[in-house]
Amino acid sequence: MQRILNERVAVLLGLLLTAAALYASTFSLSFSSAGSGQSPVFFPRIILSLWMGLALIALVQCLRTSEPNAPVARWWRVWVLLIAAVIYTNVIGREGFFLPSMVFAMISLPIFGIRNPLVVIAYAVAVPGALVLLFNHGLSMPLPVSRFTHLF
Amino acid sequence: MLASLPDAIAILLTLEGLLVLVLGTVLGIVLGAMPGIGSTVAVAMVLPFTLTMSQAPAILLLLAVYAGSVYGGSIAAILINTPGTPQSAATCLDGYPMAQRGEAGLALGWATVASVVGGLVSAVVLIVAAPQLAAFALEFGPIETFALILLGMTCIVSVSTGSVIKGLLAGMIGIFLSTVGGDPIIGEMRFTFNNWQLFAGFNLLAVVIGVFALSEVLMRVSAPSKETSDLVDFKGIRLPSFAMWKGRFKNLSKSVLIGNLIGVLPGTGAATAAFISYAEGRRSSPNAEKFGSGEPDGIVSSEAANNAVTGGALVPTMALGIPGDAITAVMLATLTLHGITPGPKLVEDNPTLIAAIFAGFFVINLLLLPLGILLSRVAAPILRMKEAFMMTAIVLLCSVGVYFVRGNPFDLLVMGAAGVVGFILRRQGFPMAPLVIGMVLGPTLEITLRQGLILTDGSFAAFFVGHPIALVLGLAALFALALPALRFALEQRKARA
Repeated sequence: MQRILNERVAVLLGLLLTAAALYASTFSLSFSSAGSGQSPVFFPRIILSLWMGLALIALVQCLRTSEPNAPVARWWRVWVLLIAAVIYTNVIGREGFFLPSMVFAMISLPIFGIRNPLVVIAYAVAVPGALVLLFNHGLSMPLPVSRFTHLF
Repeated sequence: MLASLPDAIAILLTLEGLLVLVLGTVLGIVLGAMPGIGSTVAVAMVLPFTLTMSQAPAILLLLAVYAGSVYGGSIAAILINTPGTPQSAATCLDGYPMAQRGEAGLALGWATVASVVGGLVSAVVLIVAAPQLAAFALEFGPIETFALILLGMTCIVSVSTGSVIKGLLAGMIGIFLSTVGGDPIIGEMRFTFNNWQLFAGFNLLAVVIGVFALSEVLMRVSAPSKETSDLVDFKGIRLPSFAMWKGRFKNLSKSVLIGNLIGVLPGTGAATAAFISYAEGRRSSPNAEKFGSGEPDGIVSSEAANNAVTGGALVPTMALGIPGDAITAVMLATLTLHGITPGPKLVEDNPTLIAAIFAGFFVINLLLLPLGILLSRVAAPILRMKEAFMMTAIVLLCSVGVYFVRGNPFDLLVMGAAGVVGFILRRQGFPMAPLVIGMVLGPTLEITLRQGLILTDGSFAAFFVGHPIALVLGLAALFALALPALRFALEQRKARA
């Protein structure tokens, strides 16, 4: 059972299904151009076919061997940082650079083992603050600012 | 290209040019010295900041970071027995034992001189070989260019550490990502799913930074924390005297030659060169029996070879537009971001830029000597910097850099998604360099294929009939693809015998 239901199989199956879905989506597209070789989906279809073929080979290889995944020290740390990174990259555009960066640093530093709250807060304020000062006010290359103030 | 040399030197002598060379080398040495960052992440981190620069300083900054980081890796290797970059792993073998017996300064001196010599010779090789190769490539039409790019794509096989299938799969994902957005010939939209943010396609830089830098941060948090060795007593670099070099020139020359030859071959990389050169040094050096216990020849073998790779790797990149590894793929991505099309016409269309790059590369390698001496003392305490500060800063700096490309928050989203996907794929042993190679070379592959099909009335077989260069390149591509399978079959036969 472990040979079928594991992280490797899930990832390869995901890749195979993604390619299949993308390939299927090419049939719903209609173009004004004539001639199969000059169709905008001609080249992507070749690539998607190769993608599916390779994913299938990799999947079969994976099912035939029971190679374990690299161990993860603590999964919760990975998940927290992963979610924090995704939210962080999503909210910069709306909330500005400084505040999301400060929050991200306050999450990231303890995850990497910094326990002293003073150090965490000092870094979380000083590093994003220095970047805002440098780019927004020094180099006039403004980073996104928050909805509360134009200063950061 | 020689006619463009005065203009090229004028670019280097501007304040921007000089600043870029010095600051880039400094940054490269410092980042290279930090274990875990490595040349690729260092170059990817600096890449966004080049977008506000003109073409020549932008490429020179990346080259300076590249060459500096390869040298910088030796500082960590010698002082804390942890290679700053994979290229410096072989340097640990003799560098750290030498440092442990109180000769850290001298060990770094050997590494510095060997690195400078290796880098300078490779710059000469680049200057001589790249234009010759490019002149030959000027004969190429769309069909030959298609075959050349196809051959370039096969370097995915050699950069695919672990699994060739996964490397090829990553390459296909990269090529596919390059097809999202407007069709390059008729301009119709593909795979945008009515999202106007995708009309211009995925931002190359956001993807590069996501899959290399952001995924590295996630990989680091998933790995168990490692203890580093203690910092040895170090009071600055001591350069070896001329007399100390007696009997070692042959080893130095051989190492430089190995580095250059391996560098030109796409996909082999500096780490391979360093270990091959180290093995050769151990085989042929008069001090062979002392290898592994702090022998200067060991340091020279590794450092001369890994720095000699830098120029060699740029030969196919600059002359043919074929990236040999992840770093040269990032360089090509930079050219693309600056509106320069990589390929055989790169040298002909941009003679001043290429001359500036070549001359600048020579200067960067010269700068390694004084800057290496100055910076090694500064870099030593930085080696103890906590991973937490470094990794958090990488995420913040990458976000700043990606945002500056187009001022579009959507690119940050792409970077975040690329980072997560990169992390998931890297955990399963997928190499990331093929993905970037695919994304960089994908558009040219598609355009030349479709142009070729127009020329041959839709016959793909006609690509190789009546086009001898395309035929040779196509066969070479097939051979490169079949090589791992042939090697595997040979190993199986040997094992059975």
